[in-house]
Amino acid sequence: MADGISKNKDLTRRDFLKFVATTGAIASLSSFPFKNLEAQAPFGKHPQEKPIYQIKKKIPQVCARACEADCAYYVIVAHDPVTNLERAITLEGRPEDPVSNGKFCIKGLAFVDSIYDPDRLMVALKRTNPKKGTDNDPGWVTIKTEDAVNEIIQSLKKFKPEEILMCSPGDPYTNKLARSLGVTRSDQRTECFGTHYYINCLTLTNPPNKYYSSTYTPSHHVAGYDYDNAKYQIWFGFDSLSKCGKAGMLVHWKNAKKNGCKVVVFNPLRTPLADAFATEIYSIKPGTDLAVALAMMNIIIKDKLYNVKFLKDYTDAPALVDMKTKLTIKTKEGALMAWCETHKKAEPIDVCHKPVMEGGPYKLTIDNKEYEVKPILQYIKDTVKAYTPEWASKISEVKESVIIKVAKEFANAKPYAFIPTYKRDAAGPNYANSWRLRHAINILNTLTGSIDHEGGVILLHDVKIPWLEDLAKPVKPYPEQPKEPVDFRNMFPVTDEIYKNKDFSAPGHYGMVGWGLYKTQKTKAVFFRNPYRGLYAMIQPQMVEASLEKMDLVVDWNLYLDDIGYWSDYVIPAPHQFEEGKFDIRLYYPKWPCYVGGSPVQKSPGDQIGWGSLAVKIGMALAPEYWTTDGSGDPNKRVPLNMSDHALKNAGIASNTAEFMNKGGFWINKKKYENYKTIREIGYGRPNGRVRMFIDEFKKVDFEPVPVWAQRWHDAKGEYKFSMLITRAPWIMHADPNFINNPVLRKITEKNYMDCVWINQEAAKEIGVKEGDMVVLENNPEFLKELPRPVKAKVHITNRMLRKDCVLLFHGIGHRAKNLKVAGNWGYRDGDLIPQKDPNIVKKHDPTGMGWVEDVYVSIKKA
Amino acid sequence: MKTYAILIDTSYCTGCNTCSYRCIQEFRSHTQATNGLFRTFVAINDGGLYHKRCMHCFDPECVKVCPVNALSKSEYGPVLYDQEKCIGCQSCVKACPFSIPQYDEKTQKILKCSLCAHRIAENKEPACAEACPTGAIQFGESKAILGKAKEIAKKRKMTIYGLSEASGTHTYILTIGSPKKAGYIDVKKGVPKIKKSSIESIGAMPIVAGAIIGGLKKLEERKRKIAEENKNKD
Repeated sequence: MADGISKNKDLTRRDFLKFVATTGAIASLSSFPFKNLEAQAPFGKHPQEKPIYQIKKKIPQVCARACEADCAYYVIVAHDPVTNLERAITLEGRPEDPVSNGKFCIKGLAFVDSIYDPDRLMVALKRTNPKKGTDNDPGWVTIKTEDAVNEIIQSLKKFKPEEILMCSPGDPYTNKLARSLGVTRSDQRTECFGTHYYINCLTLTNPPNKYYSSTYTPSHHVAGYDYDNAKYQIWFGFDSLSKCGKAGMLVHWKNAKKNGCKVVVFNPLRTPLADAFATEIYSIKPGTDLAVALAMMNIIIKDKLYNVKFLKDYTDAPALVDMKTKLTIKTKEGALMAWCETHKKAEPIDVCHKPVMEGGPYKLTIDNKEYEVKPILQYIKDTVKAYTPEWASKISEVKESVIIKVAKEFANAKPYAFIPTYKRDAAGPNYANSWRLRHAINILNTLTGSIDHEGGVILLHDVKIPWLEDLAKPVKPYPEQPKEPVDFRNMFPVTDEIYKNKDFSAPGHYGMVGWGLYKTQKTKAVFFRNPYRGLYAMIQPQMVEASLEKMDLVVDWNLYLDDIGYWSDYVIPAPHQFEEGKFDIRLYYPKWPCYVGGSPVQKSPGDQIGWGSLAVKIGMALAPEYWTTDGSGDPNKRVPLNMSDHALKNAGIASNTAEFMNKGGFWINKKKYENYKTIREIGYGRPNGRVRMFIDEFKKVDFEPVPVWAQRWHDAKGEYKFSMLITRAPWIMHADPNFINNPVLRKITEKNYMDCVWINQEAAKEIGVKEGDMVVLENNPEFLKELPRPVKAKVHITNRMLRKDCVLLFHGIGHRAKNLKVAGNWGYRDGDLIPQKDPNIVKKHDPTGMGWVEDVYVSIKKA
Repeated sequence: MKTYAILIDTSYCTGCNTCSYRCIQEFRSHTQATNGLFRTFVAINDGGLYHKRCMHCFDPECVKVCPVNALSKSEYGPVLYDQEKCIGCQSCVKACPFSIPQYDEKTQKILKCSLCAHRIAENKEPACAEACPTGAIQFGESKAILGKAKEIAKKRKMTIYGLSEASGTHTYILTIGSPKKAGYIDVKKGVPKIKKSSIESIGAMPIVAGAIIGGLKKLEERKRKIAEENKNKD
């Protein structure tokens, strides 16, 4: 009987169920004939052996906006059997790419599908209902993009430059537009890159330098990490869940593991990244990594475990500090001075053949003025003397013996030992003292001599993409920037100096721009440029929302109508990133000079306008003298925009970008890395550039010139005792609808509990909650005084949280735009709990004005 | 004929789920995934990373119970599924000791990994293996893959899940400590029921890639031969 069934090709499901029911045959299923390994159909005959799609094209592209690594890959275009259309299907790797090594990640794959997201914005929208906010219907009317842009230009004419804010990263077009209009530009990269960027600028890279490029992703790192050849790494909370999905980094951590690199992790959270790559994991009290780093500095200097040659030849370690002013002594020409052991006198540092690095104070006289001086290394030694392993252990709750062991092992692995740091780790901007930790990390990497050395912190070299101003110098200086910018950057001379005089594309003071908009009400028009979604995704968006309600003109250039749109007067449709050409250098693994390019996968399907075209249009209308080569405003004399053509021509690679792309869009010079060569070219005091450990600029604004332990502004108090840790799901980036409006990624997030807040069993017991319960999180009103917005979320109890005094929140969800079918009203928003900053408070705690000045502590109660 | 297998070294996996998404794009199964149905999925559990995917058993229960031959065990490893034949009875869902086949209520069909049989035919690795950023997922000829799994397990004191579970499979998952802790189902173990020639003389095999190419070429040749034969028939 069973045989009969199995051979009956026409048996329907209904027939079968009827049969099973009538014979009570569930049990009898096992008596069906044993068909395993029965004669197969010839290979290729089985439906699952037949190709699902036929590849039509492979289009080179470069990732952007999914993370900082920017993997190069191919977009595969094929006939899609589901939609019956020829479309982008998936990605294929480019093994020659030094960043990605032929890999890509889930976010890159999701970009392929977001091209076809039905919620993509295809037309320009204009508001008819003046009442703003996600609870109000904007009464959108569609409008031709060209007409919308013309209307916006007319509106912008009504405002003074100081009344306009450009919320955009510092790409070449935004830079030129903001500078030519004389308006403030402030962007989210404070969040992403600010701390790193500015501390790197102050210690290593001194912009602008010869490798300072107008890269596609304006992260401005010129320092990457040679994980592949490292022998020892220390990760201070570096292993965030967000990094679990960054292919351009994962491939190198994998190589490090295969090559036997020791990785020591300090983190109150046990991540899968640590499970995979850490040799040792130590739980640490949140916000205390700096204490461990300071104790390590103490041990390494006290025991003379540092790299003597590197410190003498390539750093400011021998440079002399006036003990009275705590500033470095310089020659009239501005060179640092060193104390010569042979001649027993101060000499310019590059001339001195035998500089001392410890000892003193030495006495010297310059222009009849007497000074008591010490070398910088001695100054640091004196400063960190009090930071013993015992002291650090009490603060961090990491064992004293561990701190001593790790410090010694780290130093002994020199110069192949370094501490990496990107955003969203302990030295990222999300925590108090993060700028000091970043500084301490750079000093530790200097002590091992790993900077500009293979197996260490490697520096970008021999590549350069020019800026628009390099192609056509403005006919006259750009107008003055507003004297009192809305992000208060003028109150922070250490970073304002870099922004104004060295690098206009530097990150703005994001942590205070919301405060500025809300409190000063000086701004009347705001122009958001995608991916500035960060403003709403990040800290205390309620302050920005309240200020935008009163704004005269709000414009958003975006791939989606997302929640910024609900406060906008116009939303201008942007192309998808795969609809644009790309040209990039390999910042995240800059071991070899390399250029990669990308071609558009398709033409934008709607009435979109590219950012470059939009910026040029506004620039030509409002500041034509700066957008034409002769200042005439004649459209025929518009400034050239072909930056990539110039880069390729200057390097002798191709005569233009089209030729480069025809050749495959990839060029690399795999020469041997020349240790300590680039630091000479880009460091302080170039052409004999050095790494700086001692920052005069900090002292000038009454902060210590080297890192010290300092009291935090915001501490645990009463019921507000849970330290708020922030990460994001490996497949989500900010609150970007490219990812959170993707239903598959939403499902993966939910299945991995990343739409919940994570606490451990002990904490759950204390609060009295169980898995899946709803909880309410609240910041202490002492610190978030205005516009509080408690967060309601589901709880996930996990032993990955190593301490009971922490709660982990996932950033990037909690979008409130109702029109986004998947992302709308899904999850919570971490930023609601983190206060925008009063600049007067920031000024007391952080001379860069970049990081947050608190570790946020919240209460958790059952909802 | 050579057989093929997958090795997942969870000590290199970070739970990024690039494998899952690449699989979805390969099979154009976005709708099913939206409904929570994945051919392969990585759960970041407290005790480790759980890769939920077909183990491609040597002696698959799903094949045994399928009343309409929709499931079949191929000679070269994968357990294949013919959607056209499937009547949605869910016998396989109930029978699988690893709880792998997933029933899609909308289509009344099941969903499970085919080891990308269609890609093997094109001399390509399965999509998940090609995409895995850390190389945690590796594909190759069974002998070499099993040899590699044993070598790693011995060197790094890891457990091989799938080696003797359900009397052997074509999927070897290396875990640190008990697989159960990471979420893998405790499946009755037995002596692998497979032709000796497929797994014997494992030893320290050279790198897998060479072996794959050799095997794939054979497949490709066979495929071409069949095509030629069919052409001649026409």
